[in-house]
Order: sequence, then structure tokens, then C-alpha cells
Amino acid sequence: MANTKLYTVIYVVLFVFATAQVAIEGMSLGFELAVGLIIGLSVVKAVLVAGYYQHLFTEPRSVTYVVLSGLLTALALTFAASYSIT
Amino acid sequence: MSDDRSTDESAVQPDGGHASRPLAEPTSKQSTLRRFFTRDDLPPYGALRRWLLTTNHKDVGVLYVVTALLFLVFGGVLALLMRIELLTPVGDFLSADGYNQTVSTHGLIMVFWFLSPFAFGFANYIVPLQIGAKDLAFPRLNALSYWLYLFSGILLGLSFFQGGSFSGGWTMYAPLSVPNYMPQIGSTTTILALTLFVISVTVSSVNFLTTMHRMRAPGLTLRRMPLFTWSILLTVWMMLFAFAALLAALLILSSDRILGTTYFTAEGTPGSLLWTHLFWFFGHPEVYIVFFPALGAMAEMFQTFTGRRLVGRKWFIVSMLLVALQSFLVWMHHMFLTSINLQIKTLFMITTIGISLPFDLMVFSLIYTMVKGRLRFTTPFLFAFGSLFVFIIGGITGVFLGAVVLDYQLRGTYWVVAHFHYVMVSGVMALVGALYYWYPKLTGRMYNRRLGKLSFWLFFAGFNLLYFPMFIAWETPRRVFDYPAELTGFHQLATVGGFLLGFAFLLVIWNCYRSLWDGETVSSNPWAHATTAEWAIPSPPPLENFPGMPSYESGSLDFLDRETASTDGGTVTKPTPSSHDGHDSHASPWPLGISIGSFVLFLGLSGVATGGIYVPITIVGGGLLAVTLLGFGLESFSVTEPAVAERWPFAGIENGKLGVWIFLASDIVLFGAFVGSYVFLRAGYGWEAWKIVPHNPIPGLINTYILLTSSFCVVLALVAAQKGRRWGVVAGLTTTLLLGIAFLINKGIEWIELFHHNIWLSTDVQASTFFLTTGLHGLHVVLGLVIVLYMIPRALNGAYLDDERPVEYFGLYWHFVDIVWLFLFPLFYIL
Repeated sequence: MANTKLYTVIYVVLFVFATAQVAIEGMSLGFELAVGLIIGLSVVKAVLVAGYYQHLFTEPRSVTYVVLSGLLTALALTFAASYSIT
Repeated sequence: MSDDRSTDESAVQPDGGHASRPLAEPTSKQSTLRRFFTRDDLPPYGALRRWLLTTNHKDVGVLYVVTALLFLVFGGVLALLMRIELLTPVGDFLSADGYNQTVSTHGLIMVFWFLSPFAFGFANYIVPLQIGAKDLAFPRLNALSYWLYLFSGILLGLSFFQGGSFSGGWTMYAPLSVPNYMPQIGSTTTILALTLFVISVTVSSVNFLTTMHRMRAPGLTLRRMPLFTWSILLTVWMMLFAFAALLAALLILSSDRILGTTYFTAEGTPGSLLWTHLFWFFGHPEVYIVFFPALGAMAEMFQTFTGRRLVGRKWFIVSMLLVALQSFLVWMHHMFLTSINLQIKTLFMITTIGISLPFDLMVFSLIYTMVKGRLRFTTPFLFAFGSLFVFIIGGITGVFLGAVVLDYQLRGTYWVVAHFHYVMVSGVMALVGALYYWYPKLTGRMYNRRLGKLSFWLFFAGFNLLYFPMFIAWETPRRVFDYPAELTGFHQLATVGGFLLGFAFLLVIWNCYRSLWDGETVSSNPWAHATTAEWAIPSPPPLENFPGMPSYESGSLDFLDRETASTDGGTVTKPTPSSHDGHDSHASPWPLGISIGSFVLFLGLSGVATGGIYVPITIVGGGLLAVTLLGFGLESFSVTEPAVAERWPFAGIENGKLGVWIFLASDIVLFGAFVGSYVFLRAGYGWEAWKIVPHNPIPGLINTYILLTSSFCVVLALVAAQKGRRWGVVAGLTTTLLLGIAFLINKGIEWIELFHHNIWLSTDVQASTFFLTTGLHGLHVVLGLVIVLYMIPRALNGAYLDDERPVEYFGLYWHFVDIVWLFLFPLFYIL
């Protein structure tokens, strides 16, 4: 569990991805593409933090399912509610 | 039996490493109060002190039942006031606003402060017994849940004395609920009282889920679990997620009322529709949250009093599971009269029809169990049978409301009132049956059988006389005190029924009260065919429940010597450092203290925007809460995890960590609802027309760097703890603290600059969503820093070198706060 080198590499990657998100906003990409890239990077960062810093990758899979249940619940509310007013 | 700090110094805190110190002997004068609140052996039942300090699940269960019955009387009196008003078709008894307050608080009390807590009284008492546990996983949190519940109810009661209570219906629809239309402080108090109640529910959900998943007796697989416990397990999972959405709604509404944000009133956005989404996303699962425990109790009573196992037991459980899942997919059938599009209405009509199918299966299972068994018409069974009967009527009449075209006609009428009460009060009927059923176990005495049967018939007659005329007089407009004169007769019948039902309730309470002294004493199992574990031990059960370790490995319940327990089917874990002689603590003053602090704080917050006395009340409440939380943290309280237990699917993770994860899952829904609200409002406003509030993403980017670095430092602190490096732990935690403070300073500077540009929380909906969502995140940062501040001195004493779990648990929380920011940053600063 105590792998300082791995944790450091992940930290650097997170740092770089955060910077990249602001850089993408400064590029003249299309709005949808920029949104996709920026949110995509956030998802990757979140998976890295949850997987390695919170050790979800090494915990019993059932813990991941608990987290995903919460996430799925929030997403269901967000997307169904937003769709309802389109 | 209980832990005693003055004699047992080996007790250690669950959060690791804090050895208890003997208390200084109090001097005579200062000591009376202190001695009163100091833990030692749990006092006898007759002592007030026992009920203030106890953390034992059975005591807490009794407290829940008794308190819920008191709230039943409160809500019942309000109902009778309404029924008196409705004797005539014009308003001549209550004032218009008085009637609105009566309707609203009656609904709130019955749904929140009576029904669920009544069921959870039984859950507290019975579930640990049925699964073979000595107590819940976190006994102090269990007591905390109870006291928060009680004080939230007291806060609600106080709202009547603050210019009037909430008067916008139990559904609290916006924009009626904002200060423009409901300016009295009492309305804000009601919303805050409900918020406090939701906090209690969340704490309780984490506790029950950890207990039921991690502390089942060996051999008690999920499949073998008793039906009442199954119903509670599914109820609590629904509670965990549904109440988080309600918490988000209530926090936003509180902010609209206290801080002046404009979520629910802003022009150009569907603010009022946002409330209905948030409320009903909670509200429909709430129907099953309220009904499932009653259903589980019905199943137990049907089995006991037909003398046979439930027909199709496995499918009954599968049906409950399906309903629990589907309950989150039907909420928009409460919104057919709003402006949501026809496609989604059609979709939700289909999902609503879908959710009725598993219920059909459950009803058939109960009916067929009666057909195959031999009926014994005891009082509990009469109530359970009556409940099934009226639930069928309630269920069928609800199907009408699930159809879009019929709903256009029936919504907002007494059809809904009648259907709703046929469902909800059928649950109450089953739970009154459960009260009679488990009364001998709780008290060691039998209720008066003749009075019991009389109370049922009065209850059943009163119920139907009250609610059935409402179906006939369905054209009566809901929540309004005047109605067409030709419907007067039906309403007068209903009023007679209301008083009859109220009398039946009083008879039930009287029977239970008198039988405490007059009832015949009973053996461990007064019912010939009851088979669940609670009936295998004395009535009432001893403090730690079982004479040995309960086990189902042989196929039936045995009590094994703890030393010789085998491990087949269970998971062996080392006893935790907190165990000492196998005896656990059963008393603590801090849950009560924290609840009083929270109560005072919330009371202050209700009027803090108006200034005056409310400001010092808020400060006193905050201080009291801080002191009691510190006392809670420093207290030596011993809880033993069972060495052998059935723990699927969480075998590889200890209780504390699972508790943190379950809490975080609920927090995901809370933040998800906030982000969802933002997305919803922005979608309604026009995604690209929406203007980003911060002028510059760089402060946000700097805060991202700060939080990422702090997360890294927490990881390094954990690594240092695992390697036994004290100064590494201290350095990691201290750096985290400093970075957290830097995050808040940076955020403060950014906010002050926005204020200088005349951008406030109330400026527009863009500003409201920005300030409130990032503010909620900032509050999480503050809470994290408070925890770190508590941990650093302990780390200096080497507290986490032998047991690094507290650092890991804190890390789980802190990384979660980091992850949330990883999404808030792009959403509020870039896109």
C-alpha cells in the first residue's frame, strides 16, 4: 500500500491535467469538444484520486459499487430532470 | 456490565490510541451535575439518568417508540383541528393561515416525526436481536440519531411561537416557501428542524447499514435473514440516498430564506420546478421508506400467526429489492401537472405501472400464506390483516394517479388525500400490530387482550369512516378549508371517523401503559410459532442480549461458547484494540450534548438574518456544539467488533472504514444534487447564455493545485503512519492544515473581490449557484480542517503509529472533498 513513488507520479499527473483543463479553455476548440475534453479530464483525475489515494482499486469491489450507486443516483436525477425541460 | 472509566483503563477509543485517563474525583458541590452526567454502570430503568445517557440499542429503541407516539398525539390533535374545521363547508373555526399551518405541520409531523421513527424504534430494538449482534456498530451514533430526532421535533414545535409555523403544505412547494410569500421566522425554523431531522436520519442510515452488513451471526446469510430485518436493510439503503437529495433541497431553501440566494425564485429559470424535482426524487422513495418496515413487520406477523413460512419468501424479498430500486425511477409521476415534457411523463407513467407489479406479488404472497396456514386472530394479526386489506385499496386507487390523463383530473383533490392515507395509515396499522406483537419482548408482559381487540375494531372502523368518504367526496379541493356544500355530509362522517380513530390510538397507548403493571408476565416466546432470534432469549433481553455467540451454522439458532466458535461461513477478524474483557460501553453524555448544541445553533440560525437575540443564540449554539463534539472525540468509549460474523459483501473492510464509505456515498448524492441543480437551472436558462461568475479561472486553478497538494500530503501522512514515523505523520497533517487554510484564504479573496464588483449571493441565479455550491464545498474544507486540528496534537503523542486507521479514514474524507472540487472547478470557472 505504501508506495510513495506511485503516489508522487499520480500527483504530478493530476497537476498537469488541471493545468491542461485551463489551457483547453484558452484554445479555440468547439464548445462541445472543449466541454467533453475538460469533463473527461476531471473524470480521469477523480478516478486516479479514488483509485489510488482512496485505495478503491485495492478495496473489496463492493465498496466501489457503493460509491457508484451514489454516483448513479446523482446522475439519474441530473440528467432526467434536465431532459424533462427540453 | 458497562464500561467504567474509573476502573478500566484499558479502554481505548475506536479512533485509535487514546488511552482513557481516570477522572479526578469530583468535589461535593461541583459534582452533583457532573456525577449525573459521568458514565459508570448503566443505571436502572427507573432512573432518568439512564435514559439520558444510554447508548444501548434496546433503550434507544424504546425511546424512539415512546417519542414517536408523543409526536403521533401532536400530529393527531392537528388532524382533529382540521376535521373540526371541515365539519362545515366554510371557514369558521380556524383562521386561514392557522388552517394552512395545521395542514402543513400535520403532514410534516406524521410523515417525518411519527411514522419512520416509530418503525425505527422497532428496528433499533429488534434488528440487532434478529441478526445476533450485541448492539449496533456505532452505539453512540445511534444515541445521537435519537437525540437529534427529538430536538428537531422540539424545534418544529417552537416554530409556532415565532410568528407562525410553515404554512405551505408538507411538500413545501416553491416559490410559496420563500420569504416573499412566507416571511415569518417560524417557517425558516420548520425547514431547519427538518434539516436537523435529515442529519439524524443520515447518521442512523450509516449505522444500520454497517451493522447489518458486518455484524450478522455466523451462518446468517442475507438469504436467511428474517423478513423484518430485510425490510429495514432495504429501507435504510433507500434512506441513505433519498434523504441526501432532500438535504440538498432543504439547504438550498434555507439559503434562499437566510442568505438571500435566488434558486427558487429567479426569473428566466425553472426554479419552482427544481424544487419539485429535488423534493419528489426524495419523496417517492419516502413512500416505501415509510411503508417497508410495516411490510416487514406484517410478513413476520403473518408467518407467526398462520404458523407457516411465507409462501414465495424468496420472491417476496426479490420484490422488495425491485421496489427499492424502482422507487428512484418514478418520481416525476408527482409532476404530471407541471410543464415537463410529454415524453418524460409517458416514460414515468410506464415506470409507475412497473413498480406496482412487485407489490402485486407481495400481496399475493401474504394472501396465499393465509390460505395455506391456520389463522390465529390475535390482536397483532388483526392489525396486520387489516393493514393488508386497506393497503390493497390504497394501492389500487394509486394506480389511477399513475396514469397521466387521470392524474390531470384527480391531482389536487381529495382522491389523493384518501389514497395517500389508505397507503400511509395502512403502514401505521401494521406498525400498531407490531407494537402489540413485540410488546411482550420489550416489557416482559402481555398486553390486555380484550382491550387489544377492541382497539383494533375501533381503529379499523374509525379509519374507514375517516378516509373512505374522501373517495366519494373526491372533488373537494386539497388543502383548502371550503368545499362544495353538497359534500358536507361526507366530511361530517369523516370527522366522526377521525375522532373514532383518535380514540382508538389513545386506547392502544393506554393498553400498553397499563399493561406495564397489570399485564401477565410472559416467557421468552409467548407466540407458539414465532421463530426469529429475538424469541429465543428472555423478555426483556439482558443488556448484551445473548448467553453465548449466536450461530446459524447448524441450520438453526445455537448459542456457542465464544472460544470454540468455528469459522465456517464467517470471517475471522482479530479483536479490535478497543475490546476489553468482551464488555462494551453502554452510556455517554455526549450524544445528548451535541444534540442540544445543534438545537440551539439551528434555533439561532432561524432568525439570524433578522439580528437581535438570534445572533448570540447562534454563537452560543455553535460554541456548545464545538465543545460537545470535542468531548465526544476525546471520550473513551469501548465497542467490540464480533470476532466471527457473516459479512458478505463487505468482509474485507472494517466497520469504521465501511461507515466512512457509506457516509461518503450519501455525500456524493448531496453534492450531486447541488451540481444537478446547477445543470438543471443552466439548461433551463440556456447553457451558453449562462455567464460564468468568476472573472478569472486562475484563483480556481490555484485552489485546485492547493487541494491536490493537500491530498498528496494526507497520503504521505498515511505512509508515514504505516512506517511508524511520528514526525512524518505530523508533517503531513500540518501541511494539510496549512494548505486547507490557504485554500480558504484564496477563496475568501476571490469572494471579496466579487463583492467589490457588487456581485452578491442574491444578485442573480448564476451568482447564487456559484456562491452556494462552492460555499458548501468550503464548509466541507472547514470541517476537514477541524478534524486535522484535532488529529495533530494526537499525532505528536504518537497516537497513529500503532493504529493508522484514523489517518486513513480522514484521508477518505479529504480526498472526497478534493474530488468534488475537481468537478466544481471546470463547471464554475471554465465552462
